Formats: sequence, C-alpha cells, structure tokens
Amino acid sequence: MRCGDFKESYLEDEKIFQTLFVKFWLVLLAAGLILLPAIANEYILYVANLIGIAIIGAVGLNLLTGCTGQISLGHAAFVGVGGYTTAVLITKVGMPFWFAMPMGGLASAAVGLVIGIPSLRVKGLYLCIATLAAQFILEWIFVHWEAVTHGIRGINVPPPQLGSMVFDTERSFYYITLLLVVVGVGFARNILRTKWGRAFVAIRDRDLAAEMMGINLFRYKLAAFAVSSFYAGIAGGLWVSFIKVVTPEHFPFSLSIEYLAMIIVGGLGSILGSIFGAIFMVVVPEMLNVIASASRDLFPTMGKHFIPMKEVVFGTLIVLFLVFEPHGLAEIWHRIKNFFTLWPFSY
Amino acid sequence: MRSKVCWLAILFVIPGLMLGGPAGPVSASDVIKVGAVQPITGRFAFAGGNISAGLKDALMMANEAGGIDGKKIEYIMEDGQYKLDVATAAFKRIMTRDNPLIMYGESTGLGKAMGPEIMNRYKILYSSTSFSGELADAKANPFVFVPGPTYADMFGILLKYIAQEKPGAKVAFFYSDTEFGKDPIPYAREMCKTLKLDLVAEAVAQVGAVDVTSQVLDLKRKNAEYVIFQGFVIAPVATVIKQCRDFGMKTKFMGTFWGTTKMLLDELGPLAEGYMGVNPYNFWWMEDVPMIQKIQTYTKKNYPDVKFRPNSYMQGFATGLIFVECLKRAAKAGDLTGEGLVKALQSIKDMDTGGLTAPLTWKDNKFPVAKIWKANVEKKIFEPASDWMTVE
Repeated sequence: MRCGDFKESYLEDEKIFQTLFVKFWLVLLAAGLILLPAIANEYILYVANLIGIAIIGAVGLNLLTGCTGQISLGHAAFVGVGGYTTAVLITKVGMPFWFAMPMGGLASAAVGLVIGIPSLRVKGLYLCIATLAAQFILEWIFVHWEAVTHGIRGINVPPPQLGSMVFDTERSFYYITLLLVVVGVGFARNILRTKWGRAFVAIRDRDLAAEMMGINLFRYKLAAFAVSSFYAGIAGGLWVSFIKVVTPEHFPFSLSIEYLAMIIVGGLGSILGSIFGAIFMVVVPEMLNVIASASRDLFPTMGKHFIPMKEVVFGTLIVLFLVFEPHGLAEIWHRIKNFFTLWPFSY
Repeated sequence: MRSKVCWLAILFVIPGLMLGGPAGPVSASDVIKVGAVQPITGRFAFAGGNISAGLKDALMMANEAGGIDGKKIEYIMEDGQYKLDVATAAFKRIMTRDNPLIMYGESTGLGKAMGPEIMNRYKILYSSTSFSGELADAKANPFVFVPGPTYADMFGILLKYIAQEKPGAKVAFFYSDTEFGKDPIPYAREMCKTLKLDLVAEAVAQVGAVDVTSQVLDLKRKNAEYVIFQGFVIAPVATVIKQCRDFGMKTKFMGTFWGTTKMLLDELGPLAEGYMGVNPYNFWWMEDVPMIQKIQTYTKKNYPDVKFRPNSYMQGFATGLIFVECLKRAAKAGDLTGEGLVKALQSIKDMDTGGLTAPLTWKDNKFPVAKIWKANVEKKIFEPASDWMTVE
C-alpha cells in the first residue's frame, strides 16, 4: 500500500511522470483519447476538437500570464494572426497546411515580439492596456486590409490533406488536434523545467530581483511573448482549418477575455490548469446549451426565460470559482489526488 | 470533504449526462425533421424569436393540413446566440442527433461557414435569416437558398424606383462596417451606373453609432437627394435622419428588409415622414390578404397573448411555406432527400403563398421580387408604394 512519495534528489522532484501510478493512468488516458473517435459521435468530437484548440491557446497564454506574470489582453488577436497567416498561405500561396500552420505560429510569434516590447517599460495594468491596444489594432487590420484578409467576408480555408487523405471531418481532424495538443503540452511542461522556465517564474515573482540575479529581462520577457504568441498562432491555424473559414468575427476582444478566464479558472501558472480551464470553458457553455434545449421540451413556457439565463449561470460559476477556489481547477485536482494517494489512511 | 464531493458532481456527472443525453433513437421514418439554429438570445434576439415562431407556425399549419404524404413535420430548434462558434456547435449537434432533411440558420456567417459541408457532406436543403448574395449562388451552394430577394436585389428595386421617380437623382449609400452592411454595395454601385443615377456619397458608420455628424455633413455637402441605409436595424438611422432634418435637408431616406420594420417606425416617430423601405412580404396589418388572415386566426388560437407579428415573423413563415412546398414536390417525385429537395426547389414557378408574397418563382436560388413601402406616420405602419417589383 502506498503512503506517499519519497524523493532523494531535486532531479526526482522535477520528474514529469513521478510514479508508476501516474504512468499507468496516463497510458490509460492516452488510450482513451486515441479510441474516443471510435465511440463518440460527431458532435462530441466537434467539442473535443474545440477543447484541443482551446488547450493549445490557453497553455500559451498561461506561459505568458501565469508563469511570467505579463498580463495580455490581446491573445485573441495573436490567435487571429496565426489563423489569417495560415489561411492566406494555404489559399494564396498554395502552401500545404502542414507548413502553413507552423508559419502561422511563427508570424504570430513575430507580432508577439513587437507587441511585447512595451512590457520592458510598463507592468501590470499599464501592460494590460498596451496589449489591449494591440488587440484592437490587429482586429482593425483583419477588417480593413482587404487585399489580404478579404475584410469582413473572410477566407474559405480548404481542409488539410496528406496524400489522398483529407482531414475534413471532426473524426479525422481530431487526430491532428490531439497530436498537436500532446506536443504543445509536452513542450510547455518541459520548458518550465529549464533555465528559461525558471527565468519566467523569477520575473513573475519579482522582476527587479530577477534582474539582479543576472536574468536578462529584455530577452526573457520577449521570449515569453514570442512563445505564447506562437502557441496562439498554432491554435489559430488549427482552428481556421477546422471550421474551414476565417473572418474577423472569430477573434473578438471577448475571446481574449475567455482565454484569460480559462487560465484563471484552471489555475494560473499551471499547465494542467490550462487544460482544465480550456475544458471547463468549452464544455460548460455547451452543457448549458444542452440543458437549455432539453428543459424546453419539459417546460415549454420556461424556455423563453431559461435560455437567456445561460449567461447568468456561466457568470455565476466563474464567480464561485474565484471566491471558493482561487487557485483554480488544478488545485481541486491536486487535493483530490492527494486524498486518494493516502486513502484510506490519510492521517 | 463535502464540498469536494459537490465539485466532483459538477465536474463529472453533468458532462456524463450530456454525453449520454443527446443520443436518442433517430429512425422514426414517419416524421420529417426540420432543424433550425435561431438567434434566440444575443444581438439579433429582437428578430430570432419571431423568425422561429414564423417558421414553426408554417410547418405546424402544414401538419394540421395533413402533413407531407401523411408524414408529420417535426421542428427542432436550438439557440445560436448570433455567435458563429455557438451556432456552428448547435448546427452540428442537430445534424448528429436528429439528422434532419432541412436546416435553417441564423446568420450569413453560419451559412458561409457550413456551406462546403452542406454541399459535400450533409446534403440538406438550407435557408437562413440572411439575404446575402453570396448565399444565393446555385453553382457554389446548390443546397442553399435565400427566401426572397438578396440585399443587392433590394437595392436594385429601390434604385429602379428612384430612377423612375427622378431620373439622374443624387443618391448616397449609408452602410455599416459589417458583412451585412457591405454585401450589396459593389452591385449597387454598378446599378447606379446602369440606371444613370448620380452616386454622390458613401458613408460608413458602426452599428449602433452615436456620433454621425461627419457623415451627415458629407451628405449635406454632396446634396444627396436619396439616402439608402443598409446593415443597421435602428441606431444610427434615427440620428442620421434627425440631424439631416435639423440641417434643413429634404433628403428621402430608404432601407432594405431590416430597415423596414415597425420597430424602426416606432423609434422614428414623426421623423419617419417620407421614409421608404423594401420588403418581399406583406405586413401583419394588411388584413385583406388571405394568408395574413390565416396567420392572424392561427395566432389568436395558439398564442392568445400575441397581438402583433413583425416582418421577421413573415420571413420565417414564408421560408416555412417554401420548405413545405419543396417537401410536397419531393415527396410526390418519390425523392425525399436533400438532392430531391433541391430539384423541387428549382422547379418552383409561380408558387401561391396566399398573398403573403408575390407568386414565387425560383431564380438562381432566390426569389427576387418585393414591394416598396412608404411610412404612414400617423398610423405608424408601412403602406405599399408600388406593386410587386422584380429585378433582372
């Protein structure tokens, strides 16, 4: 019977897969995720794809905001840059999706670098406003640079292709999303264990102290912006190829807020938190939709009042989280895990 | 520990219900399913509920009249909130769960986003709240149709009317910086040239804009005699008209379908004097029209509280009539599939809608016929200013 983990070195403490149990459950999870398309219907897979895309975006934002402490209100615009770059490269240059999407990530990272420059001078609320400006400037470009973005009409994006295989259904696209989520989450988890990750955290905790320890603020703050925007760009490229169309309406300011909410609900500075947050923010509205539709059949006259209530329910859930669980879903998960690790002799 | 249990319940049990919930039996070949994603909440909510009610009533009236070949029509509706991601999810949910033969969508964006999949994968008949020209393209979107004229056609009808009333008149367009606003503009510019009208100004404003002074000054400087609005519902139409009147301008104002609502007249009050609009459907107050009488009787019986239905209801209702006609024709031909419905749609010629619209004839996935209406300020209603007009 297990009664806790005993570690003898820091190296062991930094291990990602710490125990046999963790490995066992992860293998089970991986098997479950791979087999999901065999049992789930198109709608579930559609939601699964959305969750995957949200996870990639949220992990990126968490690296910047949760780990490095640089609040960004322009994340949706970075997602947009990636989405548009991918769409334009596919449709105008004829580049295959497999190259266009990483290029979208790089383009977004480049824009992120530029937007990140004010972070060297301004902090906190002031940086918030600087990134907010970026959101509106980029949104304006999406609408008005008609020669490239086709303005408000947007661009239709063909589905990815590999040889004769076309990834045009939720089922086939799911595997692309899954692969990228695994790679993206793995990379983010690892970056936190390196010199870079520690530099990020040091900057978040006290940037002056970090600088005195020899951390180059210029380099690491911009690096955080670039990495975060790269994730956003990948999420954007994936998203537009999945829904097969890109218009400026896809990247509103509210999406930036939604991403922030994801990492706050999930847990700031935690990769696992980003995943939980993304799942939460995608699944809860969908669930409320389903409940709203179902309740309409049971109480036909109630429908008119219940459907608009969805936003209220959603908002209340978020407030409850902030009040009762400020460390987010990741913290709940840790508590549950710890409880079961020592169960039934928890004392 | 108790709170933990609560959280666990929230996190796992409800998604479980959701996974298990929607997967019901799909067969039941004695019903014909019509799905709809409607903007019940969100920016377009003022119309969503009415459109949905209109569509549903048309289908239910067909059921009362015996259904399609003895089969009943089932109407399945979900809220799309006028947000593309929510609407797409709702669309996919309905397609997966219910597999309907016909779908109705809430926005131009949804139609465009789902277009390729409707054509290549789902193969269902599709119509929507949108009068966008991009959706009425028999080649690119054979399964998608517009239940009336497109915005471009409406502009054509208005411009034709202007050209008759005052040849060579000075015209200006006032549109919003959205897809909805910009859709007909390129066509309308061409139309001005063809009709030899003088397009003097194009003003752009945001939906709901408060300050439109610079645009109004431009209209005054260019001395526009006719201004056509597109892409707004209420704001800033009232402000523009008020400021123009304050400047002493005698400009005539016009609007397309969404600018021909009673809601706008109520808002404008006396400013509505001389306001004109284009609408392919007759209004609720035209009690001499047989289909309007039928709608009023049906409403009185089923919704005793409802005293008025706006033109968005009529749009939903007319779409429902077209759906039913397509279903009847397809059932008669023994081909009750998406392809069969498209064939039926294309065969529609001089379809009688009981006077709700002009006799409908399919033309390139739309029905390009409408009337011009003029505001009656005292009664706060629109009255016909022309007969049914068609654009070639």
